[in-house]
Amino acid sequence: MTVQPQTTELLPGFEHAAFDSNAVFRVLLDAMSRPGRIYELPLEMASPDGLNATITATLLAMADMDTTIWLSPSCAGKAATDHLKFHCGCPISTDVKQADFAVARIDDDLSFITDLSVGNAEYPDQSATLIIMVDDIANAPSMTLKGPGIKDTHHLEIKNLPESFHAWRAENHHMFPCGVDVIFASPTKIAALSRTTKVEVN
Amino acid sequence: MEHVANNPADGAQAYNFAYLDEQTKRMIRRALLKAVAIPGYQVPFAGREMPMPYGWGTGGVQVTAAVIGPNDTLKVIDQGADDTTNAVSIRQFFAKTANVATTEKTAEASIIQTRHRIPEKELREDQVLVYQVPIPEPLRFLEPRETETRKMHALEEYGLMHVKLYEDIARHGHIATTYAYPVMVDDRYVMDPSPTPKFDNPKMNDMAALQLFGAGREKRIYALPPYTKVKSLDFEDHPFDVQTWEDECGMCGARDSYLDEVILDDKGNRMFVCSDTDYCTERQESGHRGPQHHDQPLGSSQSGKAAE
Repeated sequence: MTVQPQTTELLPGFEHAAFDSNAVFRVLLDAMSRPGRIYELPLEMASPDGLNATITATLLAMADMDTTIWLSPSCAGKAATDHLKFHCGCPISTDVKQADFAVARIDDDLSFITDLSVGNAEYPDQSATLIIMVDDIANAPSMTLKGPGIKDTHHLEIKNLPESFHAWRAENHHMFPCGVDVIFASPTKIAALSRTTKVEVN
Repeated sequence: MEHVANNPADGAQAYNFAYLDEQTKRMIRRALLKAVAIPGYQVPFAGREMPMPYGWGTGGVQVTAAVIGPNDTLKVIDQGADDTTNAVSIRQFFAKTANVATTEKTAEASIIQTRHRIPEKELREDQVLVYQVPIPEPLRFLEPRETETRKMHALEEYGLMHVKLYEDIARHGHIATTYAYPVMVDDRYVMDPSPTPKFDNPKMNDMAALQLFGAGREKRIYALPPYTKVKSLDFEDHPFDVQTWEDECGMCGARDSYLDEVILDDKGNRMFVCSDTDYCTERQESGHRGPQHHDQPLGSSQSGKAAE
């Protein structure tokens, strides 16, 4: 009797590991260097239930056995965890404090964000990156951004961003150099808020 | 046996794209994202052995390898020149292992790896400047212990650096540091701009291009996002200023570029020439002539100025 493969439902990862991960990384690097500017996901990506294409591409490009991922309960289905374990080989933790990358949907309970690692004064790089799955990212003046990477100001609109997020972000900004960097991921677009970015909510 | 390694089409097949394996690139890429999020802060990374000695730009090469894609065009300069050993070998390294286009023209490059200069031509938003850094810690010669310099950065305790600059003034009457001149990044971190001449420091401020710094031996990466405030340390009564020359470039006549002094003979004759070879060539091609250009009729100017 043959063993039934348990990964028949598994979706493909990058078509070309080196070129595709590089293309995704370049978009992330641009997004993090120019907070609030909106970038298109540069390729098509199959995504498992619970994640969208942009988040899947981001994690496949950035995560591996050295990075712990935390998924919010609404993202952490079997399809998503199997996909990430297979393609990234990354540990997936249920303890948000351990997370290098934390993934959540915008309509999730975001109260966990205060538990994310912010690094310490000597090693502020040992902090988590928060990736929020959103429906759309728009260049509209609901937030005005200032700081490194921004010439004058950038505008950014993320629908349904809760008040508590802005309060946390403001506190996060004041902890500099410690802090959490945020990546917004719609199905096709990416924008980031670096910890240096000053956000004015209009 | 036929040696095919110089053919970029098939010479690199024994390696992954851009030499480094994907896991190493991911590790460097994660460090780069942290570096741009914390401008001027030195992110430790697990620097790899590269097929060139430390001091030949292994940090810059690793950063470039993590950033470069198949559609990039790479330019490499060493002290401003595209044709020096270090620049040529790194350019060939990526032509071979990544099969990317290379150029000597600043305007055509999407990634510029540099040792000790910033191009004279203003860089654009779609360009990335990668610096090779020998010693990333600006406080290292003041405090040899890494544990202490970490604390000093954490506490923003930069008094010692100001004392060092002040001692320069006390001894020489002016700040005598002319290269690797320390800068303050976004009012928070003191950063070593790598051993670029201080002439280049003002270009770092508010630059449209992304600036990435890689130190291979010391295993540190740091970055300046575009449009970041970079201020050279100084005092109110001894403000920062850059080098100036009474001469012009002997080849292109430029007065606004960084000039290298070239000794011509043992009689004290010398000339000055742009350190940025692309800038100089471009000026010559558009008709600019300096006094020592070979087009100039002999004797039309003093060829080789006697240094008294």
